Amino acid sequence: MAAISVRNLAKNYGDKRAVADVSFDVSQGEVFALLGPNGAGKTTIIEILEGFRDRSAGEVETLGVDPANRQTQRWLRTRIGVVLQELAVEPFYSVRQVLTRNAGFFPSPRPVDEVIALVGLTEKADARVRTLSGGQQRRLDVGLGIVGNPELLFLDEPTTGLDPSGRRDSWELIRKLASEGTTVLLTTHYMDEVEALADRVAVLNDSQIVASGTPASLGGRDSGVVTIRFALPQGISASDLPVPILGESDGLVEIQTEDELPVLHALSGWALDRNLRLPGLSVARVTLEDVYLKLTRDPR
Amino acid sequence: MSASPAIGSFEGFSDVKLVGRQVRYEQLSFWLNPVGAVFTVGFSVVFLILLGATAGNTRISFYGNIRLVQYYVPGFAAYGVMAACFNILAITLVNRREMGLLKRLRLSPLPTWALLSAIVLSSMVIATVEVVILLAVGRLGFSVHFPDNVGAFVVAIVVGMLCFSALGVAMSTLVPNQGAAGPVVSIIFFVLLFLSGLWFPIKPGSGLARFSSYFPVHHLISAVFAPFDTQKGASPWAWHDLLVVAIWGVVGAIVAVRRWKWSPRRG
Repeated sequence: MAAISVRNLAKNYGDKRAVADVSFDVSQGEVFALLGPNGAGKTTIIEILEGFRDRSAGEVETLGVDPANRQTQRWLRTRIGVVLQELAVEPFYSVRQVLTRNAGFFPSPRPVDEVIALVGLTEKADARVRTLSGGQQRRLDVGLGIVGNPELLFLDEPTTGLDPSGRRDSWELIRKLASEGTTVLLTTHYMDEVEALADRVAVLNDSQIVASGTPASLGGRDSGVVTIRFALPQGISASDLPVPILGESDGLVEIQTEDELPVLHALSGWALDRNLRLPGLSVARVTLEDVYLKLTRDPR
Repeated sequence: MSASPAIGSFEGFSDVKLVGRQVRYEQLSFWLNPVGAVFTVGFSVVFLILLGATAGNTRISFYGNIRLVQYYVPGFAAYGVMAACFNILAITLVNRREMGLLKRLRLSPLPTWALLSAIVLSSMVIATVEVVILLAVGRLGFSVHFPDNVGAFVVAIVVGMLCFSALGVAMSTLVPNQGAAGPVVSIIFFVLLFLSGLWFPIKPGSGLARFSSYFPVHHLISAVFAPFDTQKGASPWAWHDLLVVAIWGVVGAIVAVRRWKWSPRRG
């Protein structure tokens, strides 16, 4: 059974369209990312799946139930964990107090000390929330999301505002939860986060899904064009090269090809025969960022 | 699926325990905030002591010639109720809403009714603590006697708590953001207190008495004052005042329910 199933979902605020005809499924145990610019509808979709917001049209199931159904909402909330975009922790409790309070809402919570260790706050367990740094509060926030031992975890921009090591720690934690079988739906702006965590990704732009697939295959990245760049050796002009170039930018020549091996072979053989170096040589497939920018900037 | 999802919203005694547990955490949150706790409870006590000391043996001619401090003690008891249930409650709710704390709790399995009753009950506990301290200070510091009709006193206090809690929740829905919460709520609260005879008794029949009769603050002070049996032959049950307070409470509850929002209003 799919952990999340969304069919033709739509949401309007007045006559403003927030989500239009969105469909996707998330399997149990999968990490699924919604990637898109601000205002694309990511948070609205998450809030509908959590049962926080009602939809305008379409069919939605979260863990097999309609999240808008008041009869099953409380049941659903014992099985999901939520980490909101904004930091939301009461300032005067200690870390342990606020986790213990929330653990009490759930029928079979994760032990509080285990949660504290998982989010790396053992040394701060008895510190007041307001004395924690922003990154530590964010980790506590994630701790509050997992204290109920959820089957399904919603993470709305979980690493926004974290420093690089804090992000790595969060990724580590999300991977660990996923390896234990927790289904994760996350939203993010960051390409590296999608590549590091997501099994599958859907790109949202202007209320709609414009592409979806695995991060490696999104937008045809796994096939398609490869760009080779290097600086011309001294005394050599572009016309001396054994392969045609696309152009020059930032002092580097650029070659584009769909079949990079023969081109590289010709180039390196040519350079070695003449005892030349190719300074700054790089070989790049289209990055996820290139695909993303293309998808979210192109007028449709 | 491991368990049946068909579960309604009330689960019997375990839910009552859940509310009790939540009240404890609400109390913890309040008393752990030294500024809130000292300012709220301390403020009314300090004011009562200062005003009581300044009043000395001054008497109020149009209130059966009672000592002024005998008027202040019930007045400040009413103030304690309004401060805890209206002022603090409204400001706390705005802060929690704007910080996203309400949204977060809304997404937990804690039922809405359990959360809201715990918040209101917790305000009532704070108000009770204030009333007890004020009565004790009045008795020990100024020899002000306890209410003669305890039943009427308790009813007035409880009606005040419920109605001003409703008004506090309603007020919180009218304040757009965190920055405005303290100033807006406090200005409205203190202006009404000032015009309603907390710091000085209002002469019956005066223009100010007519003005303040439209608002619940003056009526709550009167209702808490009546059980002290200071007016010969007057009833300890101030039904008219309680009715006005109750009407305001109902209006507050309607506004609260209609305008309630879980997520921040900003943006």
